[in-house]
Order: sequence, then structure tokens, then C-alpha cells
Amino acid sequence: MTCQELSELFELYALGALEAEERAEIEAHLARGCETCAAALANALTVNTGILSLADDYPPPKHLKRRVLHAIGARDQGWGWGWVWALGGAVALAVAVWLGVQERQRTAELADARQTLLQVSGERDRLTAALQFLSDPQTVPASFGKGQTAPPRGYVFLHPQMGVLLIASNLPPAGEGKTYEMWVIPKGGAPRPAGLFQAEGTRAVHILNGPLDPATIGMVAVTIEPAAGSATPTMPILIAAPVGT
Amino acid sequence: MRVFVQRAAMLILKLLPLGLAYGILQVGLRFAGDEDLARRLQARDARAMADLYDRYGRMAYSLILRVVRDSATAEDLTQETFLRVWNRVQSFDAAKGALGAWVLAVARNRAIDHVRSTTGRMQAGAIGFDTLDNPKYFSVSGTDALSIDRVRRLKSAFEKLTPQQRQVIEMAYYEGLSQSEMAEKLRQPLGTVKTWTRSALQILRNELAGVAIA
Repeated sequence: MTCQELSELFELYALGALEAEERAEIEAHLARGCETCAAALANALTVNTGILSLADDYPPPKHLKRRVLHAIGARDQGWGWGWVWALGGAVALAVAVWLGVQERQRTAELADARQTLLQVSGERDRLTAALQFLSDPQTVPASFGKGQTAPPRGYVFLHPQMGVLLIASNLPPAGEGKTYEMWVIPKGGAPRPAGLFQAEGTRAVHILNGPLDPATIGMVAVTIEPAAGSATPTMPILIAAPVGT
Repeated sequence: MRVFVQRAAMLILKLLPLGLAYGILQVGLRFAGDEDLARRLQARDARAMADLYDRYGRMAYSLILRVVRDSATAEDLTQETFLRVWNRVQSFDAAKGALGAWVLAVARNRAIDHVRSTTGRMQAGAIGFDTLDNPKYFSVSGTDALSIDRVRRLKSAFEKLTPQQRQVIEMAYYEGLSQSEMAEKLRQPLGTVKTWTRSALQILRNELAGVAIA
């Protein structure tokens, strides 16, 4: 393989996801000291790190930090405040502790703010995409749930280049460990997975990016599935929006 | 009594700069970059470990929980992750290394290793994670993969992937599957899975390259 072909495999190589032959070829190539590929491998590690950081954010329990520090014997070695007492006295120590606590809180706040910023940015991007759907003359609308009292209501929009936009309200809770999954069902064809999404309260906006031909689509549906999604819909169908009727 | 109070006040005023200096030193250390943090870890400074945890603990725990989907196991594996970093940090190049990238790689590999061992899914001839999260791989000059702008744009690019592209990326990164294992699980030809994976990575790679140029 050429350096260019090898460079397309470096992310998977760094993950250990390549077959033995491909891995051996890369290792032999890198062992020859190819600087181009060494740089490409560094870029691949950057991509991997970015993707791994996209996992949904869950704050760890507070006691976990103590466990981690205990594991390296930090408690046994002392936490280093003793000499401050000996040297500084009450006021100096109070100032040091106050500054430390303030900074630690700031670190936690920064982590929270970072997450919030990412969420808000994501929301903004989704709303922008939704507005593009709604304003384009090629968009084909469909609705569901009209005339029903309790079940979900809303609209589906299909666009030849942009894909599918779903706007739903009155959604029932998905339940713990569950998520909503959208399906695109071609006329006379089998349902195709069209992405997982969560509701905000009882409302949800979900976009499937990518070109499709609205004339070939018979229905857009939504079901409740396990958190990792399913290959085929699990009954019952929560939303069924016929297209082109 | 009055003399005692005056002397105590004088003593406090003399000691105040010491306390302030110590506090400023602590704040300075915590705002310092990964390079300084790595050097403190190599000097076996236990407080550096607390700082490392504050900086990357939440991200590592979230990643592990995404893989193992059990909070008690995620706690155990997070502890293992940081212990492993602590034990191997001497081999890390503090001047050039990407500490966050290394911590996340160790966390991901611990979690995948755990899932493989509990499900009996040990791949014949698979490369060992001891090799994959060897600190020498992360001793490379690079840009900050975890900057807000990069992660935001990568997240946006990730949402633009087709369901199939997203699925293979999640299988590779969060389930530790090889491409042949993905093909078997998805009941798709290996060539198709390779195409989905290659095109998805190209999109994500281009997005990051765009950030680097911008």
C-alpha cells in the first residue's frame, strides 16, 4: 500500500481494529521511519481523541476521586497541608485553602460550562438545519397524529438533498435505557434505520441528513428502542406519518 | 492583653504573604498546561494526580460508562485507568506528549478489554492493549484535540454521518470491533463495511483539518 492508502487506516490501527495483515504492513512501514506516515499517525490519534470525547457526558460520583487518589497511596503520603500549618499559621492556611477551593470549584464550573456550550451549539446547529428545511420550496411536508387526543402530533418534512426533518410533540416518555428511533420506509420496501434521538420533555426535533427521493418514500415512522438502537422496528409504532397522501 | 493582640496581629501580617504565595502557587500549578502536569506526575506529586483527575476524570468516566453501560464497573475501570497512567507516566514524553489523548486511550482500552473478557470475545491474533496505550504513541507534537472548537465541530460532523457510517464508527470506537467483526454483526460484505468506515473517517478527518486551517 502507498503512504496515502496507509494513512486512511491509521485511526483503526490505533484502535486495534485492523486485521492482522493490515496491521503488520503498517508496523513494518512505520519501522522504516517514514516521516509522512508518522505525521499521519499523529493526526489519526487526534481524530480518535476527538471522537472518544464525544461520549455522552455523565458526572462521576464524588467519591470516585477519593478512590483514585487512595489507589496511588496519596492518603498514606499525606496531603501536604501539614507543613503549611507549621509554617504559615491560621491566616496563611485559610488564604491557601480558600484559593484552592475557589479554583477547584472553577474547574468544575468550567467543565459544566463546556458541556453546556456544546449542547447549546448543537441545538443551534439543529435549529438552523430545521429552518433550512422549512424555507426550501423543494421540501415535501407530511403530518401525523391530527385529530387524535393523547398520541404524538407533529410534522415530517422530506427534502431531496437535505433528508428528513421530524418535529414531534406530546411524546410519551421513552423509559429508562430506551430511546426513540426514526425509520424511513420506502414504498413496498423494508424500514431503514434513520437515527436515534431523545425528547426534551414531550417534544423532539430530529434530522436525518443525506439525499433521498421523497417520491419513493411511503412513510416515516418512530418507535421506542433500546439505547443502542435496533436493526428492525420494535412494535408498537409510536408515530406513523404517511408521505405524499 | 493588648500587647498580645498586637503581637499576634504582627505575626499574622508577616505570615500572610507566605499563605498568599502558597495559594498563588497552587492556582498557578492547576492552570498550567499538560506538559507541567506530566512533569509533576513523573515527580510522583500526588496532588498532580488530583489535578489530572479534575481535568480528565469526568471525560474518562463518561467514555468508560458509554462502553460498559454499568456505573459500578465504570468506577472500577476509571480507577484502573488513572492507576495505569500513574504507573506508566515515566515513559511519557512530557515535552511533546498529549496527556488527555493518552488518558482517553487508556480509558477506552480498559473498557473494551473488560467487555471482551466478560463476553469471551477475545479476537484471535488481536493486538494487545498494552501496546495500543503505550505512552510512547502519545509522545507526538500535535494540536489540542480536546479544544472546545474542535469537539464542537467534530460533534456537528458526526451528526451529519449516515446511520450506517455512524454505526460502524460507534462499533469501532465504543465496542472495539474489527471490520470483519462488524461485517459479521451487520451481515454486510466486508468491502461495504470498509467503505462506510473509510468514508466516515474521511468526513471527520476533513472537519478537524478544517479547524486546523481556520
